[in-house]
Amino acid sequence: MKKFVGTLAALALCILLPTQLWAGDLKIGLMCPLTGKWASEGQDMKNIVSLLVEEANAKGGIDGKQLELVVEDDAGDPRTAALAAQKLASSGVLAVIGTYGSAVTEASQNILDESGLVQIGTGSTSVRLTEKGLPLFFRTCPRDDAQGKAAAAAIVKGGYKAVALLHDNSSYAKGLAEESRAILDKAGVKVIFFDALTPGERDYTAILTKLKAAGPDLIFFTGYYPETGMLLRQKKEMGWDVPMMGGDAANHQDLVKIAGVNAAAGYFFISPPLPQDMDSPAAAAFLKSFKDKYGTVPVSVWAVLAGDAFKAIEAALTAGKTEPEAMAAWLKQLKDLPGLSGDLGFDAKGDRVGDFYRTYTVDAQGVFVLQAK
Amino acid sequence: MEQFLQQLLNGLAVGGIYALVALGYTMVYGVLKLINFAHGDLFTIGAYLGLTLLASCNLAGLLPIPLAMLAVFVMVALLVALIGFLLERAAYRPLRDAGRLSAVVSALGASIFFQNAVMLVYGARVYVYPDFLRPDFTVSLMGVNVPGVRLLVIVASIVLMLGLWAFIQRTRIGAAVRAVAIDPAAARLMGINVDKIISLVFLIGPGLGGAAGLMVGIYYGQIDFTMGWSYGLKAFTAAILGGIGNIPGAMLGGLLLGVIEALAAGYVAMAWKDAIAFLVLILILIIRPTGILGERTADKL
Repeated sequence: MKKFVGTLAALALCILLPTQLWAGDLKIGLMCPLTGKWASEGQDMKNIVSLLVEEANAKGGIDGKQLELVVEDDAGDPRTAALAAQKLASSGVLAVIGTYGSAVTEASQNILDESGLVQIGTGSTSVRLTEKGLPLFFRTCPRDDAQGKAAAAAIVKGGYKAVALLHDNSSYAKGLAEESRAILDKAGVKVIFFDALTPGERDYTAILTKLKAAGPDLIFFTGYYPETGMLLRQKKEMGWDVPMMGGDAANHQDLVKIAGVNAAAGYFFISPPLPQDMDSPAAAAFLKSFKDKYGTVPVSVWAVLAGDAFKAIEAALTAGKTEPEAMAAWLKQLKDLPGLSGDLGFDAKGDRVGDFYRTYTVDAQGVFVLQAK
Repeated sequence: MEQFLQQLLNGLAVGGIYALVALGYTMVYGVLKLINFAHGDLFTIGAYLGLTLLASCNLAGLLPIPLAMLAVFVMVALLVALIGFLLERAAYRPLRDAGRLSAVVSALGASIFFQNAVMLVYGARVYVYPDFLRPDFTVSLMGVNVPGVRLLVIVASIVLMLGLWAFIQRTRIGAAVRAVAIDPAAARLMGINVDKIISLVFLIGPGLGGAAGLMVGIYYGQIDFTMGWSYGLKAFTAAILGGIGNIPGAMLGGLLLGVIEALAAGYVAMAWKDAIAFLVLILILIIRPTGILGERTADKL
């Protein structure tokens, strides 16, 4: 029995010792899918935030205190996320970053809120997460309905007067089309055509012929890249050179292969920018150190948003806001903090403010080029 | 009027492909009274084989493009014909005397087998035909600008269909095929080798289907392993519309279905085009239960 207790004590020491040794003064939690179907996103989230923590510590930390990152795996699964949130809540962190999927984030929201911790979601775009009125919840990603606003803004900015809206009946594409139509109506841009095509077909010439007769000065197809590619290709074949735009579901290199370089040239779509396309000095510096350390570029913008969440927390801590309520209040008035994906700021609901969506144009070589704002 | 003509041509090009695929359904039904559900997947295999031949053998680099296309066209038709032949040997011939339901189940199984085989061999992602293969010229027809490749699709399908029709109507072997379609037992008594004729039908039908798959690949560019399902369904509908078992019926049914779809999309609503196409099918079947050209049972095939 004594031996058993001794072993237990030794084991406990082994588990506790590393955290004791490395314990910084300021702990920040990160919840991300290190395993499961979104593991590549989760690995990148961890890599990015670790890198930023190291950089912050190398600069002397915050008020002379070193930062420590506590990482928990949520496996992209709501039940695991609930456990991870409880572990983080009892580990003495000041705030929690994460996580990726909306349903997974939702499972952790109440646990962290009841524990009185600020949480900054990173890839959770579902509208209702910030509509619940949780005072300590924020997110660095846009909401699902932000894309419609961004699309409408791009159309208004482009000076188009008569727009044809086309979707594919999927809830995402239809929602985006309806959202855009409502905003365009208010902005005084005429939506002269609104219809759906059947995804997965090969021939869209019938609808293109009908569209042509309606005479729009822009076609906005809100669906995915395979249909977009076919539409571009067949539109070109008809000899009709009306401009066409899309949403972030078109952001895939196969688009150009399907449409052909000639037909794709001039097409534009709105999408969150990829880190390698971002032009701010903060992004460039981050991308360089990421490449130096990991030898590759981040897989997607969603992982980079975890870095932005860290930037926001770091700024709050630097401002001396370590108490959750004070930190939340400070974050809600934050704006124009230079982040990795553009300027950071939050509104009263905890949603990210600012124009996050950017416009990409396909150039004559078939390359997606990020447009200046 | 210009828009109407344009939609008519759009429909004819789509319908030409439907008709080519429908021929495979209708020929097999004519001789075996079997719906070959695997036919749509043979069409898919044609599209994938065409891409493989073009990409791996670099035919387009060795020969002038029109010649390379012709070579690939012939090779794909032959290869898919061979697969159709083997399919009949493996999946249908052992069940020849086992009743029609067993054969239909076997056909469904073959369809699932082919679809999954294509997915496992090539992967689930979308493949794209090289862009430079597509003839790039425009023809002005009665004030309507028609892409040349669209006309080529229509012309190629009509040539293939007329060739088949002449073969069935004007040659001795064609007469044997017609005889088997009318009465296999009597045909056997007349000295016709029924098994050989059935094998021949399973060479011609899939060959045409494979060629149609290649045409879709070249014209539309984008192929995936599930494409055979939607084309198969539409072609099957076209075969019934025209009167299943009847070759001119399949041609008419295919072209008609394509045109109805295009006009429905153009003048009603894109989202309603399939509903309207099938409504027309139901109406025609109510008026003529055997399909448009399907009543002359003695003249099947």
